[in-house]
Amino acid sequence: MGYDYHRPSTLDEAFGLAAGIPGSRFVAGGTDLLLQMSNGRAEPPALISLRGLSELGGIEVSPRLRIGAAVPLSDVQVHPVVAEKLPALVESIAGLGSRQIRNVATVGGNLCNASPAADTAPPLLVYGASVELQDANGSRKVTLNEFLLGPGQTALRPGEILRAILIDPPNEGARSVFHRKGRVKMDLPIASVAALVETDGATCKRVRLAAGAVAPVPLRLERSETVVEGSSLDAETRALAVETARLEISPITDLRSTEDYRRHLTGVLVGRALEELAGEVA
Amino acid sequence: MKTIEVSFELNGFPVGTDVEPHLRLLDLLRDVLGETGTKEACGEGECGACTVLVDGRAVNSCLFPVGEVSGTVVTTIEGLTASNGELSWIQKAFLDRGGTQCGFCSPGMVMTTAALLAENPHPSESEIRSALTGNLCRCTGYVQIVESIQEAARAGRVNGL
Repeated sequence: MGYDYHRPSTLDEAFGLAAGIPGSRFVAGGTDLLLQMSNGRAEPPALISLRGLSELGGIEVSPRLRIGAAVPLSDVQVHPVVAEKLPALVESIAGLGSRQIRNVATVGGNLCNASPAADTAPPLLVYGASVELQDANGSRKVTLNEFLLGPGQTALRPGEILRAILIDPPNEGARSVFHRKGRVKMDLPIASVAALVETDGATCKRVRLAAGAVAPVPLRLERSETVVEGSSLDAETRALAVETARLEISPITDLRSTEDYRRHLTGVLVGRALEELAGEVA
Repeated sequence: MKTIEVSFELNGFPVGTDVEPHLRLLDLLRDVLGETGTKEACGEGECGACTVLVDGRAVNSCLFPVGEVSGTVVTTIEGLTASNGELSWIQKAFLDRGGTQCGFCSPGMVMTTAALLAENPHPSESEIRSALTGNLCRCTGYVQIVESIQEAARAGRVNGL
């Protein structure tokens, strides 16, 4: 084992380095990639660090939220505007790894790693997030839905990086929550669910539901959303949404859980999230 | 593979050296610089035995590339002890309250405590337990470790630390 480590001072320099070293990988926090390398699942000849680049740093709040892809998760977690507007994202970060991990791991890395269980993905899906991708020739924007293609698979092209996460803040009065269940706190979730509800009086005008660790990608639960939209979040509707959610996911059995239990648990988490949001509506 | 030059501050002293680029901060501390207070257990960012502070933040030194260390301020367990050998109030609290058993996890526990108390001098028990998520002790339970941290917080307040 052995590799070179480059710490460019600009994004252009990073693109130039990557173009000159076939097989090199971009890295930010490195908490996933370094593990993959230490157990031989990735063997790049060189790492190109994006960690300190100002182009990937910082959190802008106006006109829309723009979170630099290399911002450490613990900085996102305590940002006052993120905490106010995106509570489900903050909740998902609070349960991600340990404090030591969150101090270096980044939101961009959590998405680029493209784990089906990525904690930040379900909340970002319910917030309708997009991602800004950039290579040496320019930038493009795709929705998070379009970005996540499968386990370890993203829409990133060779030589392209994720530069920022873009989020239109939810409307005033929108409520959002995140629920996860793992075997122990540090472990990846067996299942996770994010939910967002906008109400008009007693009626749910707009509902967004997303789940993690129960399909090849974190995914929106669109059929369950349809069940809930236009309802008053009553118990009967919630029960139907729970059953619908169980049918629109495609979980697998692995060392963390069986397929059946993941299906069951996803329903439970959808039910809890909707019940919590119903309580806030009432 | 070219070596890289790193320069940073370790426990108040400047350090400059050439290292293999694939080393981890943990390897640099223990094998190159001989500072063996920082321990390696899992090597995968799960157990926290290798916790050190980089610019005041607790990180797993087993997942921290040496390529990122230049320009930072690193504090290890050795840096908490005064030059005359006197232990810090956090270390004394762990001794007084029996917060160590075999002691292998203790340097990491103490560094996590240092980061926690710097940010939150009055942590509740649940805040302490939450801060310890990334630090494992395989000897025993966590009751005396939590009590040690509560004692350290009290001592910090009394002594104005």
